[in-house]
Amino acid sequence: MKVSDTRVCVLVIEGTNCEEESYLCFKRLGARPEKVHLKQLTGTDVTSDERRSLSDYQLLVLPGGFSAGDYVRAGAIFAARLRSRLSKDLTEFVREGKPILGICNGFQILVETGLLPAMSGTMSDVPEAVLGTNDSARFECRPTLLKNVNNGNCVFTSRIPIGKISHIPSAHAEGKLMFPVDRAKGIVKELEENDQIVFKYVDSDGRLAGYPWCPNGSTDNIAGVCNRDGNVFGMMPHPERVFFRFTHPDWTRSPDGAGDGRAVFESVLAYISKKM
Amino acid sequence: MSRARRYVPQDVPFELKEINLEEASDDDLLEISRESGTGLSLDEMRRIKDYFAARGRRPTDVELQSIGQAWSEHCCYKSSKVFLREYVFSITNRHVIDRGDAGVMEFDRDHAYALRIESHNHPSAVEPYGGAATGIGGILRDVLCMGARPIALVDPLFFGSLGYPSSRLPEGVKHPKYLLGGVVAGIRDYGNRVGVPTVSGGLWFDDSYVGNCLVNVGCVGIAEKKDVRRNAVKGPGDVLVLVGGRTGRDGIHGVTFASAVLTEESETESRGAVQLGDPIMKEPVMHAVLEANERKLVNGMKDLGGGGLSCVVGEIALAGGCGAEVDLSRVPLKEEGLAPWEIWISESQERMMLSVSPKNLETVLHVFKLWDVPATPVGKVVKEKRVRLFFRDVKVFDLELDFLTAGPEYCRPCEAGEALERRRRERRPKASSRYDRMLLRLLSDSNICNRDWVIRQYDHEVRANTVLKPLQGKTGCWSHGDAAVLKPVEESFRGLAIATASNPFAVNVDPYRGGKACVDEVCRNLAAVGARPHSLTDCLNFGNPEKPERLWQFREAVRGIGEVAKELNLPIPSGNVSFYNESPKGSVLPTPAILGCGLVRDVRKCATSDLKREGNPLYVVGTTSQEMGSSAYYRKTRSYSSRIPNVDIQALKAGLGIVLDGIERGSVVACHDISDGGLAVALAEMCIGGGIGADASLAGLGRMRSDTKLFSESTSRWLVEIRKGKERQLPRNRATSVTKIGHVGGSSLRLTSGKILVDVEVDAMARRFNEPLWKVVG
Repeated sequence: MKVSDTRVCVLVIEGTNCEEESYLCFKRLGARPEKVHLKQLTGTDVTSDERRSLSDYQLLVLPGGFSAGDYVRAGAIFAARLRSRLSKDLTEFVREGKPILGICNGFQILVETGLLPAMSGTMSDVPEAVLGTNDSARFECRPTLLKNVNNGNCVFTSRIPIGKISHIPSAHAEGKLMFPVDRAKGIVKELEENDQIVFKYVDSDGRLAGYPWCPNGSTDNIAGVCNRDGNVFGMMPHPERVFFRFTHPDWTRSPDGAGDGRAVFESVLAYISKKM
Repeated sequence: MSRARRYVPQDVPFELKEINLEEASDDDLLEISRESGTGLSLDEMRRIKDYFAARGRRPTDVELQSIGQAWSEHCCYKSSKVFLREYVFSITNRHVIDRGDAGVMEFDRDHAYALRIESHNHPSAVEPYGGAATGIGGILRDVLCMGARPIALVDPLFFGSLGYPSSRLPEGVKHPKYLLGGVVAGIRDYGNRVGVPTVSGGLWFDDSYVGNCLVNVGCVGIAEKKDVRRNAVKGPGDVLVLVGGRTGRDGIHGVTFASAVLTEESETESRGAVQLGDPIMKEPVMHAVLEANERKLVNGMKDLGGGGLSCVVGEIALAGGCGAEVDLSRVPLKEEGLAPWEIWISESQERMMLSVSPKNLETVLHVFKLWDVPATPVGKVVKEKRVRLFFRDVKVFDLELDFLTAGPEYCRPCEAGEALERRRRERRPKASSRYDRMLLRLLSDSNICNRDWVIRQYDHEVRANTVLKPLQGKTGCWSHGDAAVLKPVEESFRGLAIATASNPFAVNVDPYRGGKACVDEVCRNLAAVGARPHSLTDCLNFGNPEKPERLWQFREAVRGIGEVAKELNLPIPSGNVSFYNESPKGSVLPTPAILGCGLVRDVRKCATSDLKREGNPLYVVGTTSQEMGSSAYYRKTRSYSSRIPNVDIQALKAGLGIVLDGIERGSVVACHDISDGGLAVALAEMCIGGGIGADASLAGLGRMRSDTKLFSESTSRWLVEIRKGKERQLPRNRATSVTKIGHVGGSSLRLTSGKILVDVEVDAMARRFNEPLWKVVG
């Protein structure tokens, strides 16, 4: 499928607030993104013109923000609405190999929905992990360095060389990826074996490091994971904020080249044009 | 007259009273003012009495409350207008598009930006989290109702010192540390949730703010010119649609609370004047309002802020040359049983009024329905310039708008009085041979040290348009930038720079020069990143204007601000005055907070403050003088001088030209304005941000004491790093000086003037600069 025919659903509810910049990343690369309210997919309060179906799209994006205020737990309310109304559509979407991207709050939603890490299938019945409150107990808006540790499974990082360190900033209060304490080690090992770990927080020398390089205290410094098939991907940092070089936090020191986040969007569009 | 005779209950199935003004003595009038919580003066009450006497009827409680709101200092600027008109309103140019709830300025051929700053001081002093959060909510609506999308928030904050002894806190006053924590959390939780980046601000500490902290909130928005709306109805027949949150008892008498001095009882008596914010109502309100507006379904809109419905209905109707009829029983409520006067003046948050043509009503309601935002037609616009209110089919209010909105205007007594006498004799600090320790002490001063503890809690990058962030530098070595730069239009590289400035210490010693210095600083900040200053908005926080000395400070500061702004042709299309910032401990320092906007031709040419490369030469643009009054150095050494840095307009203009030209040509690779702590602190910050040292000789700055060269806060000065070999490209101008002082390099900052004055490792400076806030509040 040509990139210009690729339809991207950027899904929003109240409190989602990174939809515009996520939408623009796909538009700049020539795809056909659309900002869609969840009610347009469920058919509540909408006219027939406004009605949409998830199956019309090749790519689903859950952007960052504070969906429904994140009042229960980050992403929990959006996830509950998705599970109750769109479970079937979502599992079909994933099984067809169509990619889903969750950034920040979107990652939290994917975990709450059971679409990530989804170690036992497409969508687990209960969340298998949690993105807990940062160790600092604060919202952390700061530049972070991410090392690509994925060996080729994830369809969102195929254009990023293995081991490359990308400058992709973080902004969240709940980004500490955790697993059930008694099984954490085993789960991380399994994720590694499945090639499901994608990005890790590192310092400027590329080593796993503590705060503030790792802004949240995440298990094994994990910043992003994908499902077993590599087509569902969630990450806490914001690649859409560094599409261009001139929004890098230190760009005036090295102004040339593309933004480090751009490759995430290019990778998935390349996958779609090849596979669909 | 007994209380029972002052108020005459009406025979209706809800709470409604008439007020017996015709028989009221002066004492009764004052008692009525007090009991109603309106804070109207005796003269004002007499005027109301005469108005109703002439019409042969008594006012209802709804009417009296409404007048109390409309005539409050907060709403009608009765003490300040005379000065603002003289010094500020007259500055205009062809880039000004509107002066409504927010000012609107031209951005480029097709786009406009909106800007406004206001205070939320008293609510934040009583309830810091809610006060600050609703401050953000209110300023967002001010920008939104111009038809602009909010794209940046700005928060200058002023507190007592964080180490203030709890035992010395006056009764009813909260500790500065608690207030700072609450205010920052309020801004963070609201601003982050609505998805508008907080890109600029400031943090000032002085014990005058112990009893009355200052929380100023600014917002900037962007719109296509065709989407800019006035805060006015189109004409008779328009439907008034109330959208957003429900109305409740929170935020009753907010404006009258804001127009009085804080007391020991403020906590218990005025808690109800603080509103409750709901960012997850605001976020969809913004979506729906902007969508309805872009689809041309809205004729005009206005936000419900101070005074609630009582102010918005009259003002939006009158601005369109009309009046209105409103049915208060249709207003969606948070709880049953609100009296009509409460509904009419409640300041419950997240509400806006839209004026809509009847043919578009259904579509507008559908847009709001999709976002699950309540939208209710509550009234209609009528030709006659009066407002009539009905509640359950009973007329409860019928006033001519010319009377209601013609608030009093005062020319109150205004004189320097003791302020000038208080100026003490000069007391200079002892000269010293080395200033290493002084520099480190200044870097860790609470008014200078790194603000990353605050900044990193605010999302400053959401919307992905923030090109220059509030913290700048090499990864891991962040220092303060001078201004943030946004790239608000997808198709264009044009940038909008935003900077904040305030210098209450200087204004306190010499309000006129201090006012001038504030404008100079905001312009310096903008130019330092490569932006041409374009417009200003100001929040003027002062004490009780009924005291002649306080009003004198206000007038002089406004005169200074207006003078520099006029010379630079910088319009001030919006602003806010906050008086009565006093507590039992006395007045706050006179504090004008200025938000400046500048335009950048191409954001890819912007400069940051961090030093870039070993061997690059360093220059000072501007002239350094012996003007040490209110400087951080003098405050630190307990010295005194009444010589506040003056602003030489020609030197400022020349300096702006040199810096901007240098940045646009690419010869300037780092730039920082020289302000608090003088040249030494500015250069130290540049070293910290770049993670590299510098070696500079100050001998060429002129003949003066070494500490003056290091720490003077003379205005219109910048430090610039030039790309090696491009030195000739830095323009010169006879109106100011450009002095080469040294070059970038090494691991320490070395400052000499004949002999070594300072030689400190950058790492040591960074530690002292970075740690203080974390130690106290981390």
